[in-house]
Amino acid sequence: MDDYANIWLHRAKWAYLLLVVTTLMTPVFYVMYISFNENGFGAAEYVFTTRWYGLIFADAQLMNALRWTMSLAAVTTVLTIPMALLAAKFYKATRAKVPVVFLLLAPLFVAPDILSAALLVFFKNLNFTFRWLGDQLGVSFMDGWAQLGFTTSVIGLIIYTIPYAFVVILITMGRYNKEQTEAARACGATGWRAFWDIEFPQIRPGVFSACAFTVILCFNEYTRTSLLKGGFDTFTTVLVSQMLNSGMSEQSYAMSSFVSFVAIALIGGIIVFTLLRSEAAARRAQPVAEPGTRSTAAA
Amino acid sequence: MNAIHPTVQVRQLSKNYGSVQALKNVDLSIAAGEYFVLLGPSGGGKTTLLRTIGGFHKPSSGQVWLNGQEVSHLPPDKRPTAMVFQAYALFPHMSVLGNVGYGLSLAKLPKAEVRDKSIAMLEMVGLKGYEDRRPHELSGGQQQRVQLARALVLDRNILLLDEPLAALDAQLRKDMCLELKHLQEKVGITFIHVTHNQEEAMTVADRIALIANGELVEQGAARDIYRTPERRFTASFVGENNLLSGTVASVEGDTVTVQVCGQPLSVDRRDLPVSTGATVALSIRSELVEMVPEDGSASSADGLSLAGTYTESVYLGLTLSHRVALSDGTQIVSRVVGESDAPPPVAGSAARVRWKPGALRLHIN
Repeated sequence: MDDYANIWLHRAKWAYLLLVVTTLMTPVFYVMYISFNENGFGAAEYVFTTRWYGLIFADAQLMNALRWTMSLAAVTTVLTIPMALLAAKFYKATRAKVPVVFLLLAPLFVAPDILSAALLVFFKNLNFTFRWLGDQLGVSFMDGWAQLGFTTSVIGLIIYTIPYAFVVILITMGRYNKEQTEAARACGATGWRAFWDIEFPQIRPGVFSACAFTVILCFNEYTRTSLLKGGFDTFTTVLVSQMLNSGMSEQSYAMSSFVSFVAIALIGGIIVFTLLRSEAAARRAQPVAEPGTRSTAAA
Repeated sequence: MNAIHPTVQVRQLSKNYGSVQALKNVDLSIAAGEYFVLLGPSGGGKTTLLRTIGGFHKPSSGQVWLNGQEVSHLPPDKRPTAMVFQAYALFPHMSVLGNVGYGLSLAKLPKAEVRDKSIAMLEMVGLKGYEDRRPHELSGGQQQRVQLARALVLDRNILLLDEPLAALDAQLRKDMCLELKHLQEKVGITFIHVTHNQEEAMTVADRIALIANGELVEQGAARDIYRTPERRFTASFVGENNLLSGTVASVEGDTVTVQVCGQPLSVDRRDLPVSTGATVALSIRSELVEMVPEDGSASSADGLSLAGTYTESVYLGLTLSHRVALSDGTQIVSRVVGESDAPPPVAGSAARVRWKPGALRLHIN
């Protein structure tokens, strides 16, 4: 805020921001509120309990769903982040930036349902082709290559998450000065060492943010996992199925709240850590006194 | 200087970026222990040449030889060169000591040795006591000293400097120029320094190569480049030269008479292939030109002066520049050192610029 800005306008902007965040987060807070109610959703009487949190680990269906989703998220993150990192490095190096951006962001421009359906058809046809080929060759080892399941779901999630991871990493990479890589090369570093020693430590916050983002996107995903994995046994598909069929159980509220707590703690932790680092860097950037033992210059 | 086995040799080097030719068949030899400056206007190709020597660009054609080895195919980390960049090339997440010792750590030297050598080098560049600072805690000049220490500690015999003083203020640049020169004399290795600043080049250079439009225009000792430029472009870029265009009126032995604004000027032929009627260029440094009010006593008969109209004087502190316009509008500058209380001529009055024999130089290209 500058010296001539209207203080009430400034406060109004903060109030607006708070209102937007509150509106967005209120349903989440409500789920958290319900998760601590002994009588569950819709009950007239609210009795505080943590019992449902103790029971979620006994709910085999929910725990299985959580396991599947965490496995999908872990594998997708491990594969997506290096791919997004390579893509961002390629983008920085190439002169033809527009085609690269278009190709990487293209999955965002197709409606998720359409893209998922297209992938489903693609994998089904591929599966049919592998089976036919196996039959022609008299072998059966190719039969499961394109069968709907974990692998096809991971491919679908990579296509979904890579544009986001690419953008997050690219933003951090934008501040990196490539002369530092050249300086490292001039010091004797190979291309990989220059990246690992010099560039990566500086883009690490972006890479970690992209990892967190990818994990959250995987937890959030319904269409791709339901169509490409089958079984309706991932976290989101189980929750949605419950809601549509029998309504959410108390354990489901507790599990949803638990996942939200973890996500908020993770993202909040990153934000707080980044803010603290920035403040520490700003403090270090203050003028520093000359060392007492400064020798004369080379001259 | 070792003329038989130069430390750096560039042979018929060309570099193309699509249809743009950044370097055109450049040939260059730099001796061991020489302070060599690549001077030229921005976009002329001097940084491209330096970076090609350092392995950051691959030549489109031609070769780079370092210490008698052909290295055109080698990446920067495999070449016997170190480099100082224009700015912002320190590693911000490392301390000053970490920056300086990085190359030694890569060479897998023991930690104690890395530390000792790094501290010794920091002392050499005048930064003892700054070991634990981060780059952002240093001034621009100090950052460049750290870059120097980081490059010199590698103990390589060729140091490339890409406009190392460009980001510094004028006074610091002057100070650092001298420091660089003294440092080079101390370590005794070959320095190749890119700059577009001629004062910087004259301060540090044993030899200067003028690069423009992708070509090596001229090279030679700093004093020769300044005092006796061979080519018209050199005269226009180095020092403050007056450039005149004229037509050859006669050639008699070693003396050429050139008509400039209808007045004859005598100039040494310098074995150049000139013939009567040819259009040529003449150059003369402004400090060799004397401006006098025209009182009718002098004439152009000796070929050592031109009549014109006095336009103005510009006081620059150390020097005073008088401007005289010729009949075709060409401005001749006469620069004199020292204070003068004499009032300048009235603007628009007749004036004459004159010089001593040998001051004027002939150029045919």
